[in-house]
Amino acid sequence: MKFSSILRYSVLAIFNAGSIYLIPLIITFESWFLLTVLVFVTFLINFTYLTDKFAALKWITPGVIFMFSFVVFPAAYNTYVSFTNWSTGHILTKSQAIDLLEARTYTPDDQKGVEFDIYIFENNTDEYYFAADLAQDQLLFGKAVTQDEIDKASYATHEPSLKSESGEIVTPDGLKLLAGKDQINKANKLQELSLVIDSSTRAQLYKISVFGSSTGRLLSTSQRYTYESEYDNLIDNSTGEICSSDGDNFVCNTESVDPGWRIFVGSENYKKLFSNQRIRGPLELVTKWTFQFATLTVLLAFTVGLLLSITLNKEKLKFKRIYRALYILPYAIPAFVSVLVWKGLLNPDYGVINNWLDPLYTFFDIEPIKWLKTKESARAAVLLVNTWLGFPYMFLITTGALQSIPKELTEAAKVDGASGVQSFWRITFPLLMVSISPLLIGSFAFNFNNFTLIFLLSGGGPPVIGSEVAVGWTDILISFSYRLAISGGRGNLFGLASSVTIIIFGIVLLISAISFRYTKRLERIYGNI
Amino acid sequence: MGTFNLVKWFKEYGWRHLVGIVFVLFAIYPILFVITNSFADFANLANSKLIPDNFTLKHYKKLSGDSLVPYFRWLYNTYKVAIVASIFNVLLGTLAAYAFSRLQFKGRRASLLTLVIVQMFPAFLAFVAIYLLFFQISDILPFMGLGTHLGLILVYLGGSIGFNSWLIKGFMDTISPSLDEAAKVDGASDFQIFTKVIAPLARPILVVIFVITFIGIYSDYILAAIFLKDKNLWTVAVGINTVFVDDFNADWGVIAASSVLAAAPIATLFIFFQKQITGGLTAGSVKG
Repeated sequence: MKFSSILRYSVLAIFNAGSIYLIPLIITFESWFLLTVLVFVTFLINFTYLTDKFAALKWITPGVIFMFSFVVFPAAYNTYVSFTNWSTGHILTKSQAIDLLEARTYTPDDQKGVEFDIYIFENNTDEYYFAADLAQDQLLFGKAVTQDEIDKASYATHEPSLKSESGEIVTPDGLKLLAGKDQINKANKLQELSLVIDSSTRAQLYKISVFGSSTGRLLSTSQRYTYESEYDNLIDNSTGEICSSDGDNFVCNTESVDPGWRIFVGSENYKKLFSNQRIRGPLELVTKWTFQFATLTVLLAFTVGLLLSITLNKEKLKFKRIYRALYILPYAIPAFVSVLVWKGLLNPDYGVINNWLDPLYTFFDIEPIKWLKTKESARAAVLLVNTWLGFPYMFLITTGALQSIPKELTEAAKVDGASGVQSFWRITFPLLMVSISPLLIGSFAFNFNNFTLIFLLSGGGPPVIGSEVAVGWTDILISFSYRLAISGGRGNLFGLASSVTIIIFGIVLLISAISFRYTKRLERIYGNI
Repeated sequence: MGTFNLVKWFKEYGWRHLVGIVFVLFAIYPILFVITNSFADFANLANSKLIPDNFTLKHYKKLSGDSLVPYFRWLYNTYKVAIVASIFNVLLGTLAAYAFSRLQFKGRRASLLTLVIVQMFPAFLAFVAIYLLFFQISDILPFMGLGTHLGLILVYLGGSIGFNSWLIKGFMDTISPSLDEAAKVDGASDFQIFTKVIAPLARPILVVIFVITFIGIYSDYILAAIFLKDKNLWTVAVGINTVFVDDFNADWGVIAASSVLAAAPIATLFIFFQKQITGGLTAGSVKG
């Protein structure tokens, strides 16, 4: 057998084994979508590699599967999320939410207060055991558990052997009876514990007595909510109220029961973005700054890069290679490191930058700049750092472009009597722009979504005071969306956040379309020089 | 003639050096500063300076000994995730590129176009969906859900396959078809042509694509940040930007040391491949 066949069948065998392992697992979780995808992929892979029908598929299928699963599908899913109310309090599906609500319990008033003697034992691994002396024929004993462990705990058992004939309590082997004093020392911990008697009843320590036995109390719990599917109602058993659904929450007596569930809300999120003034305001501010930031940052980096490449584009200039090598350095360092370092340099209290500026502050008698703490300084800092990060790239591409412009052109202009400035603006610069403009548009698109810079340097801040959603003066659309979804401190507004990314998506699409048209036009104009 | 004319020299060359040096300072000052400070024998940012009086390794030692800041664990995680994702990325991209470059099939042009259009949009734009999808996958397949390296690797893997196979295809197109035709005459199969002829000849571009992908994943913050919640699983980008943000003054020495360790290998790699990387990026963006 050929090596290629061995490779093919062994990879296929491993893949199929994986699928066979996963399919039952997915079925138990009733995730029909995932199951469909897996079955389809398994079928596709086997079809591709077992038949010789489509040779090309063998080569592109693996890449396409990954690209589809983790790029195309998330993009589509993102669009779907933007049409839902998916957010904190609306994370679950309706049936998950109902299951959760029906599992809630409460203690009815008439079930409180049955009191009895309770004995507490400790073993040598800090675990506690309760013995509840409920009645003559009911001495219940078992491990005491915390609230979290109640569902998994086993029920207490009747242990008549724990009581001697004279009515004294007998300490089981391996345990130590806790005296009243010890109980007081450990009261905080002991009060958290319960002895589970059955699914709805448990015993807890109620009053500690230093002399004599402590008192326990029975707590009986009942199911708090019952769902009536025929009326789509939730009944609150503790009050008897009927709570009807308002679409994504049950409402009991004008109060929403948490959690609600996620539903399709159509264009609700987009309406909110465009017409709810408390969200539209921040969005407008962020959009405006995103464009300003991307434009300014490209302009600044391009200007510095071009200036340097013109300066160094001189024959017989010494140390040219050294200059070039050093200018690359900011570009070579991962941005997440550079940004962290710049944050240190810009630190308003201890940073080097304010140290340098100190004579100026004294001379003009002004307050030191609170870098990153005020709107203007934060915006200036973001632009400064990004110029540092971006000018090497601009330097590299403009140097390349300058060198590819034929010398004859500028020399011919000189012969015709053009000054250096004239020949630069009339000949060199337009030619430069032919090859550079697609790259500038690319750089604009990159900076339009330069999350790492903004989020790590300023965190989007300083915050815009008094706004409904978390937003800052240097937030760009992508960091704004990130804060809505993940770290805004006001819950996870997934639906709203993904609708913001859809807007970004639209803008990037527009930029790309313009770039295609614009660069073609440029080529037509300058192409036949 | 023959004598040195300072004014003329300045007009021709001097001012160029002046501008050049000013921007050299701008470019390398922060880098020098952080390197010297990582070895400096002072405790905080407030009394930091470019050339410290005494040198020490204490900040580096502190990084390796602090269990609250598992820095080397983060480095290890980053290399693991980035290397595994980049290898598979290049492998799958190369396979697809071969088909696009050498095989004639229906829908070839359309799929190529789709590839390029899809990659115009950064994959992280769909971060909300990625988060929610993997959040749900966590219940069913915990080994690849949110908070796992495998899940993160899968996302990175999908993220740039299209762009990479586009670049590799461009390079493969420049390999003369007469070579594989000769192999075909000798009875070689597609697989043999690929492994024996095309892939070896495409090795330079494969190395470059690997390096670009590796650096890209190493430097990613947003996806790693939403994916990884456990401190011990963080990548270095998430780690140093989460732990050191509260007290710059006190942590400055450690911040400097961790910055140097995180950046040095990548910067070296970048400078080594600089021509190919910037060339590749330029070619890619001109075409894309």
